[in-house]
Amino acid sequence: MAVKQRFAVVTDSTADLPDEWRDRYGIEVVPLKVLFGNETFRDRIDITDDEFFRRLATSTKLPTTSAPSPGEFADVFSRLAKDHDGCISIHIGAQLSATAEAARVGAQSVDGFKVNVIDSQTVTMPLAFLCRTAAECGTLEEATAAVEQRVPKCRVLALLDTFKYIEMGGRVNRAQAMIGTMLDVKPILLVADREIKSVDRVRTRSRAISRMVDFFRAEIPIEHVAVVHAQAPDEAEMIAADLRKTLPGLEIPIGQIGTVLATHTGPKALGLVYIKK
Amino acid sequence: MASNRPSGVDGPLFKRALLGSLSWLAANHEEANRLNVFPVPDGDTGTNMLLTLQSAVEDIKDSNAAEVSKIAKLASHGSLMGARGNSGVILSQIFRGFARAVEGKSSLTPRELAVAFEEAANAAYRAVNKPTEGTILTVAREAGRAATAAASEPDATVPSVIAAAAEGARAAVLKTPSQLQILREAGVVDAGGFGLQIILEGMLKTLEEADSMPARVPAAKAPVSQVALDLPEGGWGYCTEFLIEGTGLDVDAIRDRIEALGNSVLVVGEPELVKVHVHTDDPTRVIALAGRYGKLLKLNVGDMSTQHKRILESEAAGAKPPRANGVGLVTVVAGSGLVEIFRGLGVDAIVEGGQTMNPSTQDMLMAIESVPYDEVILLPNNRNVILAAKQVAGLTKKKVHILETHSVPQGVAAVVAFRADRSGAENVAAMKAEAERVQTIEVTHAVRDTRSNGLRVRKGDVIGLINEKLEFAGSDYAEVVNKALDKLGPDSYELVTVYRGAGASDDELKNLQTAIRANFPSLEVEVQQGGQQHYPFILSVE
Repeated sequence: MAVKQRFAVVTDSTADLPDEWRDRYGIEVVPLKVLFGNETFRDRIDITDDEFFRRLATSTKLPTTSAPSPGEFADVFSRLAKDHDGCISIHIGAQLSATAEAARVGAQSVDGFKVNVIDSQTVTMPLAFLCRTAAECGTLEEATAAVEQRVPKCRVLALLDTFKYIEMGGRVNRAQAMIGTMLDVKPILLVADREIKSVDRVRTRSRAISRMVDFFRAEIPIEHVAVVHAQAPDEAEMIAADLRKTLPGLEIPIGQIGTVLATHTGPKALGLVYIKK
Repeated sequence: MASNRPSGVDGPLFKRALLGSLSWLAANHEEANRLNVFPVPDGDTGTNMLLTLQSAVEDIKDSNAAEVSKIAKLASHGSLMGARGNSGVILSQIFRGFARAVEGKSSLTPRELAVAFEEAANAAYRAVNKPTEGTILTVAREAGRAATAAASEPDATVPSVIAAAAEGARAAVLKTPSQLQILREAGVVDAGGFGLQIILEGMLKTLEEADSMPARVPAAKAPVSQVALDLPEGGWGYCTEFLIEGTGLDVDAIRDRIEALGNSVLVVGEPELVKVHVHTDDPTRVIALAGRYGKLLKLNVGDMSTQHKRILESEAAGAKPPRANGVGLVTVVAGSGLVEIFRGLGVDAIVEGGQTMNPSTQDMLMAIESVPYDEVILLPNNRNVILAAKQVAGLTKKKVHILETHSVPQGVAAVVAFRADRSGAENVAAMKAEAERVQTIEVTHAVRDTRSNGLRVRKGDVIGLINEKLEFAGSDYAEVVNKALDKLGPDSYELVTVYRGAGASDDELKNLQTAIRANFPSLEVEVQQGGQQHYPFILSVE
């Protein structure tokens, strides 16, 4: 009889998990989906980022997104059950997506396999940091405790180039974000405490970037930080380089926002994502 | 005849004198308007002074007070409530200084009258941040000096002192071009100073007439501007105004009681006289309450639904969730598009006004009172509104911050920077920094031939102002805007927002956009329908 490994780490494609981390820790990534009309693409599997943004720019109708089904999760958990005692399944915040709920339901159909589903309350690379933290723990219990302790400290600070996409996605409305209907104002949004709130609004992009960085600096001390972007690699690199100067002990990875999240942020979105200490 | 000659200035005489001033200013205010110094459509100095004086006279015309101190105090209140524009506000401070100087006096000797004139000028100087010579301030001071000189003559009389003041004012007005380059270049005298000269001449005319006949009630009367608020949902149907005359009146206590009975409450005054303004659905209760404090004067109850709408309250003010920091935003702006833009950005109350329609202190006060927050940031968005805005702070129990925005682009930049999670003071600092960051280009037509800033401008020329300073003149909008953007240095900026005025055609807008994009490809161009008068285009460069 094969010796079972300790526990598995599962997440979803909105974690924007770097490939290197996925391979090193053997993290399972379940894709969400993006739908252009009748065409369905699994996030980061069936469609490249470049192809996605090209279609986004030319499509007359904006794409929609959907969570993995419970059945898809059940398949993954069944497969993992063969050589694991259990798993921690860490997902995009339940206020943003039905993914965590699908994972919970999917887990119920796999008998005798312990799945600790975590609603991370967040999205993009804080999830990746949580996965890494979990993978570095010795037991499922330790991993679950370490992740649950960090969930309330995850933050996503996002600068959107346009309000159009997030408004169409229905997650935020203009009134909440204090964005008038007339003037082109760039919102800086903060995902925290199961809410998306507008923390600032700015008219030009360079000012918006510096204000986002200022906001982040006031949040230090932090445990992890990453810069994420949709089609804005140069600005992301510039922000990261700037932060590395004052935060020498931190790696500050740069991540690219996947197609599902990018459906809601639109192109040229930038994010400073972090876990507070 | 000798029995009619006034030996001292008592209440009735001072009242007659002010009525005379109003009448003479009403006849001459257009002339003051024409002495428009800047070649932009800003010719409202005379109108502003007239409306301010009219508000002063409104407050005294029904008073039979025998003491000059009471009439002066009423005029001071009235002028302050109705002060419009810079000259109007300074005029209100002149009244205030005069009232202070004559406090407790029932009648003034010629000597005391001269002292009061000098004190009035001093008060006006103190009220202004950076007093500029060659303006109404200089004229007030010279009038006071001339009055003092006349009063020291052995046979000085009240008419001789006023005559000297008027003559001193006239001489000072004639000298204003030598003191202020901008007047010299434009070839005019100072309009505000001229207005003050007219006011003093009006007094003198009345006194001279008093020698032979009773003073006439002024025949020419400018229309009283309407001030009213939107009706809030479900009531406050009557605008109720009156004065309470009594002794030892506790203004704050009265205000507290009145506030429970309505909104847009304005209670100001002194222990002897309190002005009350309230919007209520039960005027009889208000009147009964006030009647317990003293005698009611000038009682006026108006059905607000029939009144002209001047101040636009935000439609959803009541429905919006309360702001975390408890800070409200009030702005002054004109133009339907600009009103919508400011509303969309979260401004709670908008006072219609701007370059050519300076709102009064009272307009702004009422807007501030209408906002459901105890702390308010007020953005004048025009240099000519700032002084009147500054008067508001002392008239309300609310904490008011005046953020001195000089233009629409500055106002927009400031409002965009407002954050509900920051305190009022923090917001003011951040908003001020943003307002100072933005550059304003205003495009309009010269209203007359002039020279300014070394530029020869002909009436009708397209002129471009950068941050209120005339920089370019030409024959077409795109040409002037190109020059202005070039001067600012397009490399330092990202975004040009074009606020299209009511007077700009589709073709003119298209030409302007095409020109900016062709000449400054690195700049993003955003067009907004501003709907403002007089400025076909206002551009925000940031």
